[in-house]
Amino acid sequence: MRGADPRVKLALSLGLSLAVMLPLAQVAAALALYALLLFWARLLPLAARQAWRLRWVLLALFVVDWLVVSLELAAIVSLRILLLTGTFTLLVATTTSDELRLALLWLRLPYRYAFSLSLAFQSLHLLEEEWQTILEAQRARGAWDPPRNLRGLWQQTRELTALTVPAIVLTTRRAWALTEAAYARGFDSPRRRPYRQLRLTGLDGALLAGAVLAAAGLLAWRLGL
Amino acid sequence: MVPLEAERHPILRAEAVEYRYAQHGPALPPVSLAVEAGVCLALTGPSGCGKSTLARCLTGLIPHLYRGEMRGTVWIETLPTATTPLWQLTERAGMVFQNPAAQLLATTVENEVIFGLENLGLPRAEIETRLEEALARFGLAALRRRDPRTLSGGEQQRLALASIMSRRPAALVLDEPFSMLDGSAAAELVTALTELSAAGTAVVACEHRLGWLELLPGARVLRLEGAPPPTPEAEALPPLTFRRAPFTLHAEGVTVQRGANVVLRDLHFEARGGEVLAIAGRNGAGKTTLLRVLAGLQRAEGHLTVEDGAPDLGLVFQNPDVQLFNASVREEILYRIPNPDLALYAWLLGALGLERYESTPPLLLSEGEKKRVALATVLMRRPRDGILLDEPALGQDEAHKARLLRLVRALADAGQWVAFTTHDLALASHADRLLLLAEGRLIAEGTPAALLGDDALCRRAGLRSPEQAAWG
Repeated sequence: MRGADPRVKLALSLGLSLAVMLPLAQVAAALALYALLLFWARLLPLAARQAWRLRWVLLALFVVDWLVVSLELAAIVSLRILLLTGTFTLLVATTTSDELRLALLWLRLPYRYAFSLSLAFQSLHLLEEEWQTILEAQRARGAWDPPRNLRGLWQQTRELTALTVPAIVLTTRRAWALTEAAYARGFDSPRRRPYRQLRLTGLDGALLAGAVLAAAGLLAWRLGL
Repeated sequence: MVPLEAERHPILRAEAVEYRYAQHGPALPPVSLAVEAGVCLALTGPSGCGKSTLARCLTGLIPHLYRGEMRGTVWIETLPTATTPLWQLTERAGMVFQNPAAQLLATTVENEVIFGLENLGLPRAEIETRLEEALARFGLAALRRRDPRTLSGGEQQRLALASIMSRRPAALVLDEPFSMLDGSAAAELVTALTELSAAGTAVVACEHRLGWLELLPGARVLRLEGAPPPTPEAEALPPLTFRRAPFTLHAEGVTVQRGANVVLRDLHFEARGGEVLAIAGRNGAGKTTLLRVLAGLQRAEGHLTVEDGAPDLGLVFQNPDVQLFNASVREEILYRIPNPDLALYAWLLGALGLERYESTPPLLLSEGEKKRVALATVLMRRPRDGILLDEPALGQDEAHKARLLRLVRALADAGQWVAFTTHDLALASHADRLLLLAEGRLIAEGTPAALLGDDALCRRAGLRSPEQAAWG
């Protein structure tokens, strides 16, 4: 799976994410099947870590949905978020930004947009690193402490909102530095000729067929065909 | 605008070029210069004098990517930059930016080089030839499949150079290329620039410190004087409003491991209140990690104690942007300080030259000023035992460094312990004691005079001054 063509992984992730449209039992079944696929691709621990990071969001949504609407809605919303997290993990963990750019170009996206999207994709993991650095920097000046009680949680939420300022500054600066660096190497040249091309292997073909079949099956199931 | 005739004119030429950014005042006073093939020009001057702006003007990034007001004319070979498409200009003049890590776009070393070659529209075979040539020339062949973000600072700088020089521009412009490099990496860069210059490339480098650039054969120097000279200050600062009782910090067996990588290995040392300690070593030697351990931000094995328990030390990060977010300098410095000591606040404003910026948003200040605000925010908290500064001299001119040293000495006189990391050997020589790190180990400690005079030791720690590099 790690070495599969990026177009196949994109199709597989998009196809399987269609399962979010299904009712509770089918979403649960789709999630179980997807977990098997991740296990085969040796990505299950990584997906589990991603899901664990969302535990507080999931818990809060689950409690609110349960109290306000029903237990069934609470369960289905949580399972859908888990499913989308899993599909996202498959794509992010096994695709480089260079591969994603080639896939997007194959989809006839203009080079400028394919390049920008792939750079944004590459920067995703940097966002977390930068956020941790900002929190550390605030701790080092005594301006932020981890919450110890509910009152502290409310205070922390207000402070974290203020800290989005340095986060936005850093992200904007990084984006601008990359933009300058790209233009300094002829990013806007009309003479550009790609060096690498994507080629589908036999396994890629089989996975792609599986993705298309899965998407068609999920749609048919949902529409009752 | 009519292109000039190539044979009568240099590769880079500026005539009365000046620039004003849309949001700020004048960034570059009128400058004229000419750089011929094989010539190396060092652009120097104080912080804020417009070196980086001029570098962008010389490569065409200004006016094409910036919305300010440019006057005068710049030519690259025969092409006026204002009316020529940027891609044609960057084929002739390449630019390497200050922070090598921030300009890397690809996920492998070879893809980084290929990116610039694809944009030239070269056939596949030619791209392969130039790729191999560039990897070999800049010593990157063994690293070709590596993620550029995992390389050392020196390797990243070589990759940035390789990705530009593989495009074979007639001119190369570098913005503070030595500021983030240790002595060994800086010496390697001097060698690479000497070879490029000898091969006929016109080289322009902007630097605060001329030491490294003076090693380039026949280098010419142009000093920009745009910024007003710093206001004269008293020789020493008035005493601080508080004083720390004498103490000793003990570090025993400090070890930090990240996965299979041992970042710090069994460090033992002692430090006393009132002492200024410099920590030096190559990029990646573990200097910043040691500061994070001392500040309590990084878990470590071993013991770190003072008489009163765990040390209480404030840390000023290398990048001030991660510490600043309030609407004014005053609010920033006093943020979350219960019952602030206003005498200390006034002392800090005076000591750091921030009086006139009290109501200015910190993020609108220059890099040097932001660093000083970040330092004030940490000191206002009055960390009990002292402060830690990560590369405080990075990108700072001599006036800023002098101000920093005065402050550091005032803190030490008040009984505080001050430790800073640095690649700047001149700055390190002002410390009372120096720790040298290599690959996470403490390889030596002593007075700066004793350690910096030991050439073999300095080589091992990657601490080569321009003078040492000149003597091989």
